[in-house]
Amino acid sequence: MENIIECRNLTHYYNKRKIYENLSFSVPKGRILGLLGKNGTGKTTSINILSGYLKPKEGECLIFGENIVDMRPELRAKIGLLIEGHVQYDFMNIEQIEKFYSRFYPNWKREAYYELMSRLKVAPKQKISRMSCGQRSQVALGLILAQDPELLILDDFSLGLDPGYRRLFVDYLKEYANSEDKTVFLTSHIIQDMERLIDDCIIMDYGKILTQLPVQHLLDNFRKVSCSLPERYKFEANSDFYNPAQIGNNFEVYTFLPENDIRSYFHNQQIPNDNFRTEILNLEDAFIGLTGKY
Amino acid sequence: MIKAIFYKEWIKTKWIFILSALALFGFASYLIFNVYRMIELKGAVHIWEVMIQRDVLFIDMIRFVPPVIGILFAITQFVPEMQRKCLKLTLHLPCDAQKIILSMVGYGAVMLLLLFSATLACFYVNLRIILVEQIANHIILSAVVWFLSGILAYLLTAWCVLEPTWKRRILNAVVSILLVKIFFYNVAGEAYNSFLPILLLYTAMASSFVFLSVSRFKEGKQD
Repeated sequence: MENIIECRNLTHYYNKRKIYENLSFSVPKGRILGLLGKNGTGKTTSINILSGYLKPKEGECLIFGENIVDMRPELRAKIGLLIEGHVQYDFMNIEQIEKFYSRFYPNWKREAYYELMSRLKVAPKQKISRMSCGQRSQVALGLILAQDPELLILDDFSLGLDPGYRRLFVDYLKEYANSEDKTVFLTSHIIQDMERLIDDCIIMDYGKILTQLPVQHLLDNFRKVSCSLPERYKFEANSDFYNPAQIGNNFEVYTFLPENDIRSYFHNQQIPNDNFRTEILNLEDAFIGLTGKY
Repeated sequence: MIKAIFYKEWIKTKWIFILSALALFGFASYLIFNVYRMIELKGAVHIWEVMIQRDVLFIDMIRFVPPVIGILFAITQFVPEMQRKCLKLTLHLPCDAQKIILSMVGYGAVMLLLLFSATLACFYVNLRIILVEQIANHIILSAVVWFLSGILAYLLTAWCVLEPTWKRRILNAVVSILLVKIFFYNVAGEAYNSFLPILLLYTAMASSFVFLSVSRFKEGKQD
């Protein structure tokens, strides 16, 4: 499958603080990929690098096969960018901003923008600065849909939105991306929203990528194992197990292993357990299972 | 592209443009009225004598108004771009980024040029009614340097505002104050006449400073 985004060996530091080293990932055409990570793991840094507003210390990024250093205007026209906080020119009103952007894009879809705007209870002359965060998010989304880009890069699209607007944003975006075969690369700190939206995820930890895989694979195969262990029992975890934790007798650990293999492991290691059970997780729990609570 | 950029810049700056026009018109009217009043009180011969012998310009009260207008105009135009890093949107437009920045700065410079030329023309037309051509020219040539400082102040303020880090922004501000100060070292009439082409060149060169700030912004420099 053709890759729309390809980042190779990205390394970035803010002064002496390492954000990540040798980070490589790719986003295939037509997929919605979510970048998941705790605060400070470099999600916004990655978005800034991809949108050309941060020069990585090392490594390169290709979008549509072109190096993004000094992105050509033609390449920028193919990329819809949503800045964290749904930033738009808030000194304009919804008519002015549409008029402004429409001059730059020959295939501007005015009706896509106004269809979304008709759902907002705002006067056409109301300034964006006087709108709620949710309304601003719809303006930003409407402008991206009207631009009709081939690739959408969205930084923390759920920031500041109430559940209704988050759902509206996700539903519109998913419908648009699927029907038009668009590629989307996004981040959000609210992982429940991602579960409804994304096809693939990259889970980042401090300085590295923990995993990149289809969300369905993660949801189908990643498990939480819970059981009772003797107090202060030292669980010897190999690389198949993530983030073992014990509070009192209650023990939990996460793994991609099938249930039978987990049981065999416990048996072979002679782990004195009780109340053994496994459970399939939602995306948020799987994220915590992979990255840990702290 | 330029039309769209000008449209955006006009939305940001229309109020400061109108207020600046009113301020300049107000100052110009007051100063011209003052000259007329003095002629009425003391006679034209006395005023001419004071102008020629004591090198009094009568309109020098306006000299700091152009740089103040230049600074306010740049703040009004560029602070909204830096709020929540809106400049990213501008630089993401599918056009040559340098052309976009040049259009933005060009817009500001053209608007100020319009305001300042109209003010100078207003002075000239009204002063010519009561003064001989040589004295009116002398006043206008003396005033040109103050208005030029307004354009420079605008360009340097844009340079400071678009700079992404506070440390460098403060340094830029100090350099800018020193550069603008050159225009006010000598208050004598036509003191800068021979130096005027150099000041013009110097102002034109200052327009390139904004590209340094934008390039640092694109590299993701931060405090």
